[in-house]
Amino acid sequence: MDKIFANRWLRLAALAVFAVLLIVAPLVSSRFINYQLSMIAVFAVALLGLNIVMGYTGQVSLGQSAFLGLGAYIAAYGVRNEWNLVLVLLLCAIIPAAVGMLVALAAARLRGLALAMITIALPIIGIPLARRFSEFTGGSQGTTVSFLGAPDWSGLANDQWQYYVVLTIAVVAFVLARNLVRGRVGRAFAIVKENESVALAMGVSPYRYKVLAFTISSLLGGVAGFMYLAIVQFTSPETMNFFTSINLVAAMVIGGSASIVGTILGAIYYVLVPVVAGQVNSSRTALISGAILLAVLFLLPRGLVSLPRRMSLLIGGTRRRGASPRDDQNSPDGASTADPGTPETPTAHEERQAR
Amino acid sequence: MAAELSVRDVSLHFGGVNVLEKISIDITAGQVVGLVGPNGAGKTSLFNCISGHYQPSSGSILLDGIETAHAPASRMASLGLARTFQHPALRLDATVLENVMLGAHSWLPGGPMSWSLRLPATGRAEREARGEALALLDRAGLAWAANVPADELSHGLHKGVELCRALLSRPRLLLLDEPAAGLSHGEVEKFIETIRGLRIDFDLTVVIVEHHMGLISALTDRVVILDHGAKLMEGTAAEAQSDPRVVEAYLGKEVTDDESA
Ligand SMILES: Nc1ncnc2c1ncn2[C@@H]1O[C@H](COP(=O)(O)OP(=O)(O)O)[C@@H](O)[C@H]1O
Ligand SMILES: [Mg+2]
Repeated sequence: MDKIFANRWLRLAALAVFAVLLIVAPLVSSRFINYQLSMIAVFAVALLGLNIVMGYTGQVSLGQSAFLGLGAYIAAYGVRNEWNLVLVLLLCAIIPAAVGMLVALAAARLRGLALAMITIALPIIGIPLARRFSEFTGGSQGTTVSFLGAPDWSGLANDQWQYYVVLTIAVVAFVLARNLVRGRVGRAFAIVKENESVALAMGVSPYRYKVLAFTISSLLGGVAGFMYLAIVQFTSPETMNFFTSINLVAAMVIGGSASIVGTILGAIYYVLVPVVAGQVNSSRTALISGAILLAVLFLLPRGLVSLPRRMSLLIGGTRRRGASPRDDQNSPDGASTADPGTPETPTAHEERQAR
Repeated sequence: MAAELSVRDVSLHFGGVNVLEKISIDITAGQVVGLVGPNGAGKTSLFNCISGHYQPSSGSILLDGIETAHAPASRMASLGLARTFQHPALRLDATVLENVMLGAHSWLPGGPMSWSLRLPATGRAEREARGEALALLDRAGLAWAANVPADELSHGLHKGVELCRALLSRPRLLLLDEPAAGLSHGEVEKFIETIRGLRIDFDLTVVIVEHHMGLISALTDRVVILDHGAKLMEGTAAEAQSDPRVVEAYLGKEVTDDESA
């Protein structure tokens, strides 16, 4: 009990320190650093969406950049037409969510490669569409906007104000997502990923929850698009680039799949590694990023988020195997824990086929 | 209220293979029925038909008089059906309690909106489910394991966790697919006690697929013997064990094996 308490207070304290850092950081940092911090918030939200569909629900999604781009274009259009910004943000959530849901309604019956193909198609179709409808998108040149400047009463510079705006959006998104993945819906996502037969038996429709996960993922992608435009003040077909999607998947795995903290670590990785690699050797950025990717995956297959656990395992020795009631003083006997092994019957294929 | 199950002329074909041939079984509310037969007899397939995982090729399945043969599997939990699987399928990375909590899915209220906003109703229901889950784990002698990751438990304990998960859905009909397979002698005794306790405290109808004849005799009111997808006989466990057709179906092998256990 003591341990749990200590742990909880430790977590709260860490969270408080983190919050203070987030609030104070832009006041004492350069514009360059504020820009990077803001970009971390932007891509944290995009990654959060990706993690919900891929990390938590186990469905391949290689099209997140399309929703990022869609959100950015909707935001640019709304800003140029001087719509209310709250309305613009709402549209950046709702329209990509609707598009994602429509795609998912058709695609969620597919698995593996077929599903991956559909999601790959999104940025591949999105880029020529964006070029084509240039009166909305500015075509290949892209579109520049100027919005979300700091109001006078705040006494802040624009970059500081914009940082606080995207940070607020990111915090709200993370709190809501964390609540979601912890309860009934999160358990449904997890069992859809793990075993669809069991999901069905427990009253979870895998199809419905896949569509839901895709919808939420697209919604968060669109919101990240709004945030992106707020920070960069420019968007072009490049925002949808397929390689952005691939890099987001890599960042999700590196940070930690199916983990909220891992999502944040993934966003830090996504934004900072190219910057760091560029400063080490600007002509070898891709190579250095790739080397870091491989090193992390090799040393921490479960992502950066597993670093503390991995460390304590290395220091604290081996992991408990075959836990038994004897591990706990209150339990009456340990006789029932002998593992007789699983006898293989000829029906080992049944569960897969029952899906 | 325990459920009444009626399987009528259910057949199941895969391609040219007749997995089930016109199976009819009637189970009254509150009974514990054994479903016995050699490997490949079609026991798991019949469970899959009842639970909606397979669509029977013909025939009807009535749960409390409601036709469910073509209901989607994901609806069955809310109709009061729960099942375990021959090979326990838990989330190994999650704790035992998290695994059991999935069982509450069908009766927990609220959709994605209310859960992401953590509306008070969802919080209350979640606490209620947690309390029930812990009570079930306690009953199965697994309270100590609530916060242990499932992959640290033995196979026998996984079966107990899976049973708790099924029970948390508040079922009225429980299908257990080889719950004692791979359990040690002590674990089987404990399992028999657990099911006896359930019969007293829960209002449940239970169907058990099992090769372990000791367990079948100890727990069931009645057994149905399947062989090659057809019903061979129906009666008490004692009648079944002395029926020459049953002994022949098993080639004497598994029956005598398990009797000695
Ligand atoms: N999805 C399926 N596709 C084809 N054959 C199947 C399928 N499921 C079960 N079978 C076949 O049905 C027969 C009965 O299997 P099963 O119901 O698992 O038997 P039991 O549980 O009695 O051991 C076996 O021959 C098995 O191969
Ligand atoms: Mg079977």
